[in-house]
Amino acid sequence: MIKNVLLVDDDTEMLHALKEGFKKYQESFAVVLAEDGLRALESLKRNLISLVVTDLKMPNMDGFELLAHIMEHYPDIPVIIITGYSTPEMEQLAREGGAVGYIAKPFLIENLARQILTTLRRESEGGTLHNVSSGMFLQLIEMEQKTCTIRLEDKSSHKKGILFFNEGELFDARVNNIQGQAAAQEIFSWDAVNLSIQNGCALKDNKIQSDLQPLILEAMRRKDEDEAENVPESVMEQMEHGEEEPADLLKKLKARIETQIGQQCGLEDLYQDEFWDSRVAQLSKTGEFFHFGRFMLGYIDRGDTNDYILIPGQKTTVITVDPKCPRDKILRVISE
Amino acid sequence: MRKLFNDILSTEGVKGILLFSFSGDLIFKEYISPIDEKPEHRDWRFFIESLEGMRETDLVFEKGRIYIRRTEMGYLVILMALFVPIAMIRLNCDILLPLLRQPKPGGKFGRFFKKNK
Repeated sequence: MIKNVLLVDDDTEMLHALKEGFKKYQESFAVVLAEDGLRALESLKRNLISLVVTDLKMPNMDGFELLAHIMEHYPDIPVIIITGYSTPEMEQLAREGGAVGYIAKPFLIENLARQILTTLRRESEGGTLHNVSSGMFLQLIEMEQKTCTIRLEDKSSHKKGILFFNEGELFDARVNNIQGQAAAQEIFSWDAVNLSIQNGCALKDNKIQSDLQPLILEAMRRKDEDEAENVPESVMEQMEHGEEEPADLLKKLKARIETQIGQQCGLEDLYQDEFWDSRVAQLSKTGEFFHFGRFMLGYIDRGDTNDYILIPGQKTTVITVDPKCPRDKILRVISE
Repeated sequence: MRKLFNDILSTEGVKGILLFSFSGDLIFKEYISPIDEKPEHRDWRFFIESLEGMRETDLVFEKGRIYIRRTEMGYLVILMALFVPIAMIRLNCDILLPLLRQPKPGGKFGRFFKKNK
């Protein structure tokens, strides 16, 4: 996960020189530029920033004010001060204000880069994970009562977010300008993420006041609702209505599963079979008894070499699959 | 027996659990959400027969989901909302499955005494 470093200085030549100089570190971090403290605040709202490097003397909002704002609103973001008017008193003030580094101008660009890299390394000191489901992973964090800061990137939208855990409790979350429960729910709706774990949590107050599981479930519910809107008639509904030739529908369904999950989806065969009709009728009646509405599909494991997915219709459609197939994904694709 | 199913019943969205014998008798029932229908008044034999040979069944309906697991005692039927993480339910069932065994007479001392032939 490429990290963003925000460089703040009213000397634009200096900014661009730093940007050029940091190009050789582009696999470790990217730079975002701001010409004063106020513009830096805007940038903090729009981007997930991992580190701020700021000058002290600037118009509109100076480096000390920016430092104070970051410590109050983004306590997880470390700040390195660079200044051309360095005095021991200024350095002491900056350190007391929360700065993790202090460099007097002129300096070697490699020295600043080294300090940036050392500071950024702490972001992933607890490890990194790729392509994981955020919900399942975060429940483990809660179970293990961990205190940590987790930075995540959604694989599909490339949005970035951050979660703060204190002894397994979710204290806060942030995605761009959104914070708290809304940000947490947005993060929990991401299917696959890359994430890095930093030990420790800079936040002291719990701003969320909710257990993890209800938040995750609510996020899933909203996501399902969003996905359910504007969905055309599914292949399943077409099967039930019998408006198209079964062979064509079966072909469509097979193509749909293979396109969305890939050739390795474990799909073995697809056919219609009256053998299952009476069983499907019984299962359907059971759903009606509990007021669960129409029977849409069933997954059956009989311990055979294949498992079966049943889709009710004028004749039952049977999909045979490898027992190791991603069954939940397949069921989701079919019912879409 | 309720204690056995606590983890499943406390999962948000789970509406209830029923345990049927292989002959269709209701052995256990616990509803979390109010469900009007009384399962005691229904003949479950045809339903149980339709499950013959199935180890695990996951049924998706318009407004809910039914997960069925074959145990040594019979069929465990879990009623739930559509949003429930089914992987979690499966995992919980894997954990409690060994506990749902018919007690074997004399089994307690079986490992100490040899049987007369």
